[in-house]
Amino acid sequence: MAKIAIDPITRIEGHLRIEVQVDGGAVTDAWSSSTMFRGIELILKGRDPREAWALTQRI
Amino acid sequence: MNRFTEGLESHLARQGMSRREFLKFSALMAAALALPKRYATQIAESLAAVKRPPVIWLEFQDCAGCSESFLRASRPTAAEVVLDVLSVDYHETIMAASGNLAEEAKKQTIDAGGHLVIVEGSIPTAEDGIYCCIGGRTAVDILNEAVSSAAAVIAVGSCAAFGGIPKAAPNPTGAVSTLDLVKDKPVLNLPGCPYNVVNLTATVVHFLTFGELPAMDQLNRPLFAYGARIHDNCERRGHFDAGEFALQWGDEGHRKGWCLYRLGCKGPVAFHNCPSVRWNDGANWPVGSGHGCIGCSEPDFWEMGLYNVADIQKFGAPSTFAPVVGPVQTIAPPTAALIGGLTGLAIGAAGTAAYMQLSKKDHPDESGGNNSEEKK
Ligand code: SF4
Repeated sequence: MAKIAIDPITRIEGHLRIEVQVDGGAVTDAWSSSTMFRGIELILKGRDPREAWALTQRI
Repeated sequence: MNRFTEGLESHLARQGMSRREFLKFSALMAAALALPKRYATQIAESLAAVKRPPVIWLEFQDCAGCSESFLRASRPTAAEVVLDVLSVDYHETIMAASGNLAEEAKKQTIDAGGHLVIVEGSIPTAEDGIYCCIGGRTAVDILNEAVSSAAAVIAVGSCAAFGGIPKAAPNPTGAVSTLDLVKDKPVLNLPGCPYNVVNLTATVVHFLTFGELPAMDQLNRPLFAYGARIHDNCERRGHFDAGEFALQWGDEGHRKGWCLYRLGCKGPVAFHNCPSVRWNDGANWPVGSGHGCIGCSEPDFWEMGLYNVADIQKFGAPSTFAPVVGPVQTIAPPTAALIGGLTGLAIGAAGTAAYMQLSKKDHPDESGGNNSEEKK
């Protein structure tokens, strides 16, 4: 039984880590983590609603 | 790998760029850098011999919009040049290798040293930097390692340059800019949301030709790209000066292409070359398409209020005007008559400068004591 972690996953937008558990040549379990957080929801709170498009289009 | 052995011109020739196109590109870059035409030759000569500098492109708290801007360069030959001039050894979004192999490529470049580090995205510092980790390491750690043996650092986009969106209030992740962390290497900022790839190409060409980063302002932005106020080169400026403003989206003034100041345009407080370089192969720019400038090349522009009217209390004469020599004088009556409200103040300031120059000529005796000084 082996655990393989691939981090970073490239050629995608954003930061991604994939971990897989391999058992006798077969993947038996897998985990994905998004490894970056900005808190856009928290930044949006309390702002002029007319600004929401400009902030969220930059996610 | 031929990156340490082959000159740039022969590399580009192999990629199908003719000598003529190469010279044309050199002339374009001289123009972008606001250098006299004769520098085109020097640029061409230097670029012909120069080795492609290795680049590590680091993405932290970003939206990859700046990478998009980089990849979609479509100005004549700029796309090929940016991709071919630089030997991009590490870039998460475009590189073929993943995981350990990707990290290994980066390590080799860092060990060799003398590379350029391009930073995209802000760097989170709260909770020991856990809000951005790549390969199990924090952004702070990765940045420090990558710049340790670098020749120079270029922060692309407002997030890397000033903190951008992640740093917008209440800055949940303690995001900071590149310059906040990198103290012992030359750092150049190319803010903009996104930055303009023409300015990155010109910066790199300057670096390769003259061996140093271009002249910068107090915010580490290159003067060739950020030396002029948007408002001073805006095609709607005539309407501003004439007091013709769009007051509502779709109203008569908006349909006629009048000034967008009252709809929140930040052109009067933002410095960038958008009006001349424009976007999408020079097709258009925000103000040209009917939305005010959001001031994205300025620090903390998210706190200015997208639709708040820009504060232009301190707004002076266009930066392209020759300096006004002589003591400050009060506004002369004919100009003062133009003033009404906030916008009037701006017109007044610009108008006054011009008026002062003219009026001095017309009425030399009215300047009083100042004249005696000039006569000496
Ligand atoms: S306020 Fe905006 S739209 Fe009006 S002239 Fe200045 S930059 Fe152009």
